[in-house]
Amino acid sequence: MNKGKKALLLVTGLALLVYPVLPFSSDYVLHVMTLAMVYMILAMGLNIVPGFCGLLDLGYVGFYGLGAYAAGLLTIHYGLSFWVIVPLAALNGAIWGTLLGAPTLRLTGDYFAIVTFGFSELVVLFLTNEIWLTRGPLGLPGIQPITLDFSWLHPAWYFEFYEKAPNFYLAAVMVALIYFVMGRMEDSRLGRAWYAIREDPLAAASCGVNILNYKVIAFAISAGIGGVGGCFYARWSMFLSPDMFKFWESFLVLCMVVLGGLGNIKGALVGAAILVCLGEVLREVLTAFGLPPETRFMAYGLIMVLIMRFKPSGFFPAIASSSRSSRLLETLQKRIAADAYSREDDRGAAA
Amino acid sequence: MLEQQLINGLTLGLIYALIAVGYTMVYGVIQLINFAHGEIYMLGAFFCVTFITAAGLPFYAAIVMAMLCCALCGIVLDIVAYRPLRKAPRLAALITAIGMSIFLQNLALVIWGSRSRPFPRAALPPYLGEKALIVGGVSLTWLQLFIFAVAVAMMVALSLIIRKTRIGTAMRALAQNRTAAALMGININFVISFTFALGSAMGAVAGVLVSVFYNTLYPTMGYTAGVKAFAAAVLGGIGSVPGAMAGGIVLGVAEALGAGYLSSLYRDGIAYAVMIAVIILRPSGILGRSVIDKA
Repeated sequence: MNKGKKALLLVTGLALLVYPVLPFSSDYVLHVMTLAMVYMILAMGLNIVPGFCGLLDLGYVGFYGLGAYAAGLLTIHYGLSFWVIVPLAALNGAIWGTLLGAPTLRLTGDYFAIVTFGFSELVVLFLTNEIWLTRGPLGLPGIQPITLDFSWLHPAWYFEFYEKAPNFYLAAVMVALIYFVMGRMEDSRLGRAWYAIREDPLAAASCGVNILNYKVIAFAISAGIGGVGGCFYARWSMFLSPDMFKFWESFLVLCMVVLGGLGNIKGALVGAAILVCLGEVLREVLTAFGLPPETRFMAYGLIMVLIMRFKPSGFFPAIASSSRSSRLLETLQKRIAADAYSREDDRGAAA
Repeated sequence: MLEQQLINGLTLGLIYALIAVGYTMVYGVIQLINFAHGEIYMLGAFFCVTFITAAGLPFYAAIVMAMLCCALCGIVLDIVAYRPLRKAPRLAALITAIGMSIFLQNLALVIWGSRSRPFPRAALPPYLGEKALIVGGVSLTWLQLFIFAVAVAMMVALSLIIRKTRIGTAMRALAQNRTAAALMGININFVISFTFALGSAMGAVAGVLVSVFYNTLYPTMGYTAGVKAFAAAVLGGIGSVPGAMAGGIVLGVAEALGAGYLSSLYRDGIAYAVMIAVIILRPSGILGRSVIDKA
C-alpha cells in the first residue's frame, strides 16, 4: 500500500470516529454503522473456519444466538454487568463449539457444513419453543443497556449506554481488539497450522500438525467470537427474538466473508460494511417495488456464485505479502492443487 | 393411532426418499452436496401448478412437464454453476451450491410471491381425495396410495436405470474413479449432467406430491425439505441410492412418530437431531462407505 492510500484510509477512519460527536450526526447513520460493526465482529469470527481452515460453517448464527440469549437472560434475571457477561458468552460459545466440533470435524468438510446447519436450526427451534425460558416468538424485551460503573472511584462516574454514540465507540473498540487478536493469531503457530491444513491436510499432518485439534480450536474460537458478538448485540438492541437468528444471518455473514476474500481479515471488515449498507439501501428499494426485504438475498446468492467462479480470493484480496505474490509459489500451489485433485480420485477408487 | 402415524410417516418418508436420491446420486458422482436440490424440488411444485393454472394441462401431464422442466433446471445448474468449479477446491463448490440455493429460492419469491398458495384442487382427478379403505380406524386415501405407487415406481425405475442401462453403468464407474472412467471413454460431463437431470426429475415429483398432500406450496418449502432429505441421505449413507430410500422412510416414520408422541413443536428438530446423531455416531450411515477424513 502506498503512502497516499494509507493517508486516505487514516483520514476516513478518523472522520468516521469523530462522526458521532459532530452536531449533525444522525442516529440512523450511527445505528447502521454500529450494526455494521456487529457484523464485522461476526465476519471476523466466521472467517476463521472457512477462511483459515477451509471448512464451510453454515451455522454460525447458532453461536451468535446462543451468546445473545445467554447475555439477555443473564442480564434480565441476574443483573450481571456486560463486562462479566462478555467472557461468559465467549466461553459458552467456545464450549458449544468444542462439543459440536470435536465429534464432527473428524469427518470430511461436507458433513461438518451440514451439522453446523442442523445445529443452528435446532438453536432457533429451541429459542422458539422453550417459552418458559425465552418467551418464544414474543421475544425477549427489556434487556438493560450496557453500563460502565466506576462509582467506587467517584460517585458520579456511572454511565449507561442509552445513547447511540457510546455503543458506537464500544463496538469500535471491540472490532479493533478482535482485529488485532485475529492478526496476531494469523501470524502465529496457530494460524500457520490452519493455513497448512487448508492448503494440504496430508502435508500438514506429516509435518506434525494435529489436524483435529487445530480444527476444533478454530471452531471453538470462532464460536466464542460469535458469542461475544451476540452478547453485544443483545445489550445494544435491548430486544431479542428467535427470528433474528435464522439461517439468513449465517448466510449473510458467510457472504460478507466471501465478498471480502476468504481468509482475509481486512476483507471481512470491508465485506461486512458493504453488505450492511447495501442491505439498508435495498430495504428501501425493494419495498418500493413491493418485494419482501429477503429478496435481497437473491443478489447475495448471485454475488457468492460469481465470486467463487471469477474471483475466488474475493474483491479485496489480501495485501500481497512477500510469499503470496511470488509467481513461482503460485505455479507450485497450482500444481499441488491439481495433484490433490487427482489423489482425491484415487482415494475414491480405494474406498 | 399408532398405525395412522405409521402410514402418514411412510407417506412422508417416501417423499423424502425421492428427494434424497437426488442428493445422494450427485454426491456419489461429484462429491458435492447440491444444496440447491431443495430448490429444484420447490420449483417442481411451482412448475406443476403453473402448468395447470396457466396452460390448463391435466394433472398427470403437468407432472411430466414439471419433471422435464426441473431436469432442464438441474442440467443448467450443473453447467452454469458447478462445471466451471470441477477443479476448484471443494469449499468453492459448496459455497456456490449455497449461493445457488438462496438465489433460486428468492427468484421464486420474486416470481410467485412469498405467500403460500393452495394446490389447485379442481385439477386433481376427483377420486384422489376419497378414502380408499378404512381398516380398524386407520384411513388411507387414494392420494396416499397414489403417492406410494408413484414413489415406488420411480425408485424401481431409478434402480433399473442405474443397474441395467449403459448410462447407469457409466454413473457407477464415475462414482468409483473419475479419471479411470474418463480414460475408458466415458463422457464425464454428459454423465454428470444426466445425473443432475435424473435427480432433479425425482425431486420435482416429490415437490408435486408434497404440495398435493399438504395442499400448499410456498417458495421457502425447499429449504426445510431439502435439509431433511439430506438428513435422510446421510442416514442411509451418502452416495448409496438404496440407502437414501431406506433413510427417507426411516426419517419420515421417525418424524411422524416423534411429532405424535414427543412434541409436535420439535417436528423439524427431529430430523436435524437424527442427522447430527447419525453423523456423530455412525457417519457412514446405514448402508454407506467410510467417510472419515483420511488425510
